[in-house]
Amino acid sequence: MKNMECVITIEIGTNAVRVMAFDLSGKVIGSMKGSYPTFHVEPDYSEQDPDQMFITMLYVLKNLLNEEVHPKNYHVISICFSASMHSVLPVDKHGTSLGYAITWADNRGKNEAFELKNSSLGKEIYETTGTPIHPMSPLIKIAWLSRHDKERFKKAYKFLSIKSYIIQQLTNGYVLDYSLASATGLLNIHNLTWDSKALDFAGITSDKLPDLVPVFHSPGKLRREYQKSLGLSNDVKIITGSSDGCLATLGGGVWEEGKATITVEDSGAVRVVGKKVLKDERQRFFNYLLTEKDYVSGGPTNNGGVIFEWFAKQFGDFKGPYDIEYTMVNLIHEAMDVVVGSEGLLFLPYLLGERAPIWNPNARGSYFGINIKHEKQHFVRATIEGILYEIYSIGKTLEEHRTINSLTASGSFASIPFCAQMIADIFNKPVSVGENPDNIARGAFLLYATDIGVFKSLDEAARSVVLANTYNPNKVNHQVYEKYYSIFERLSTKLYDEFEAISKYQNEQ
Amino acid sequence: MQQNQFILQQGVSGTLELFPHMKEFGLRKNNTIQLDSFVQEKSDCLNLFFIVDGKFEWVIEGEHYVLYPGDVAVALPDQEIGGSKGYYDIGTFFWLQLKVEKSSPDGRMSIGRWSNLSEEERRTIGKILMLNNLPVLKIKEVAGIFQEMRSEILSQELGYVTRVNHLLASLLIIIARQSTRQSGSRRDFPQTFLKLEQALRQNLARQWTVEEMAAMVGLGTTAFTERVKSYTGFTPLHYLINIRISEAIKLLKRPTVNFTDIALDTGFYSSQHFSTTFKKLTGHTPGEFRKRNYANNQHNK
Repeated sequence: MKNMECVITIEIGTNAVRVMAFDLSGKVIGSMKGSYPTFHVEPDYSEQDPDQMFITMLYVLKNLLNEEVHPKNYHVISICFSASMHSVLPVDKHGTSLGYAITWADNRGKNEAFELKNSSLGKEIYETTGTPIHPMSPLIKIAWLSRHDKERFKKAYKFLSIKSYIIQQLTNGYVLDYSLASATGLLNIHNLTWDSKALDFAGITSDKLPDLVPVFHSPGKLRREYQKSLGLSNDVKIITGSSDGCLATLGGGVWEEGKATITVEDSGAVRVVGKKVLKDERQRFFNYLLTEKDYVSGGPTNNGGVIFEWFAKQFGDFKGPYDIEYTMVNLIHEAMDVVVGSEGLLFLPYLLGERAPIWNPNARGSYFGINIKHEKQHFVRATIEGILYEIYSIGKTLEEHRTINSLTASGSFASIPFCAQMIADIFNKPVSVGENPDNIARGAFLLYATDIGVFKSLDEAARSVVLANTYNPNKVNHQVYEKYYSIFERLSTKLYDEFEAISKYQNEQ
Repeated sequence: MQQNQFILQQGVSGTLELFPHMKEFGLRKNNTIQLDSFVQEKSDCLNLFFIVDGKFEWVIEGEHYVLYPGDVAVALPDQEIGGSKGYYDIGTFFWLQLKVEKSSPDGRMSIGRWSNLSEEERRTIGKILMLNNLPVLKIKEVAGIFQEMRSEILSQELGYVTRVNHLLASLLIIIARQSTRQSGSRRDFPQTFLKLEQALRQNLARQWTVEEMAAMVGLGTTAFTERVKSYTGFTPLHYLINIRISEAIKLLKRPTVNFTDIALDTGFYSSQHFSTTFKKLTGHTPGEFRKRNYANNQHNK
């Protein structure tokens, strides 16, 4: 039988690892996932067990190879990685993890972040590194460790990202690609070296970090025992790869100016691509690198699908047989019965504080404008509208810097047809949604395919993505949304003092 | 899509003569509200409804449900079903009344012999439906099955009896599977599962069984296994092995702990069992792993 070539992508996400196999034409051969938990041992903590993530990855990879790849006689030529941004894992000189990995969602460094953000040093570091000063940033996390967990800090031989740890386990190399490094708050994104001022603030020297490499770099061969147990050959090329955000943008088919991509899963982001850094006086955007020449810029929100899930858990119908997915589908049906704009009921979705564009961890949620005629279904629709107004507010701030003519939407929440249409109406721009939801893996595949010359450039690779469904904006609906959005926007800033006051009391409890 | 109304009744039209287990099968397009068109009633049949369009408010065994397109309503024999206000709301739905067998000693329901399911399977399907007792399920594929059944029955082409009974059997299989998936720990399975994971890690040396794990989250073993699989990608026992190996790796990286202690601390029967499992997953024995880890990192320094 013919031996065909294939590429494996490994996506180390927040809740799960997904392993996919693509043939060289980009067709999916197989896909499997395995999940792992996040532990919250204290209120602001968010941690994961790196060894469990490694073993889960290995297990899923092995299952996919044995069930989908080897039986079909595919020859694996490469394995390309992607991972969530901002994780920090200190390891000792044997490569042994010192405690659990700290994830992007961890907020323990909020005081350090607050202090730095409001200083001139903070402004300078933001401009140099492109990463907003925020507890999510590894810069802040390492600074926190240096001040509050001195024992662990002292023992640390290196501070890795979870992806670096997993690649190190597989190949022995300590590497970090420029792309993930550009989300650490420690990398000078203009000259691609570790920034000395950021390192000073974190309390470390550059030898405490992994080696910087391009996204196409191969950190070394797969260890022989893994070649053997996985049934892979000696020449399989391991590729460091990039971050979830950058690859989702590429895999979403957006790699030219004039376009933006909206991703909403639990959290969300609006991103644009360009050859230049997006400079913002008010430090509202991130600027991450994919390759050394391409910047992915945009703003993240904490309050995406997770807020709708919260709503469903509190107010959905569970007395019957329903599970959470089912309840959410029913709620969407209810929302469809309500007119655009929820008859003047507004929702601010800041239940988890907010990142872009207001960058206020103390922001809180609110329903506004309730009158006696509003019924439960109005709240359902207002909740969805509020989540998407927040996405719009990020898009609008991006439009102060870039022209956006069309959008693509991805992620489990944004790609729900009802939500995609609503995005089109709110933005008054056409929204394309791809056929498969696996933008990150597709992005990783496209990265590899470009590296070996299947595509001439990333632009060409991105254009190969099929965007099957397009939602065109309805002007009348847009006018309604625009009217209410202006109130939404004003409320977000006017309530600043009250957000401070209420969150202060909440934090005392 | 054919959406014309129809109704087939046993003993009335003759079309159901070769399907004695089917009492009624039809599609109803309800354009007007007729009072008392659907009052609370029970029958000795298994009653299945599938909502094509519209929004229906029904009461099944005293519980109120709102049904949307894609929903299947199931009323078991002797369960009461009817509209909340005693009538059919505006909309379209399929319904099917199916005669089932009841074994006399325990009152358990079993699907009739018309299908080529094994006796065991017929009883299991009955058991799942009765135990889970989930009157409303979301199963979009049911639309296609009902439409195909209808056209097979009406066109009566070669082999249609076999085809219809096949479709009927797949319908019941799909419903039983979905019922298993939808049951238990519905509101927040991830949260429930996290608690279980913490309990497992706190007592990893214990020989956990699937039954024990399922009981901890208040689910039957079948439902539990299904949920864990769809949530984690692994069966419960494989997930447990993941945790065991993850912990073992940490211990292996401490050169002072011996293999037997690691094996027993992480819940393996013996160092042999540990070694075999470890090698199967990671490609090396625990001894090789420890040696390599040190050798490599000494080299890296």
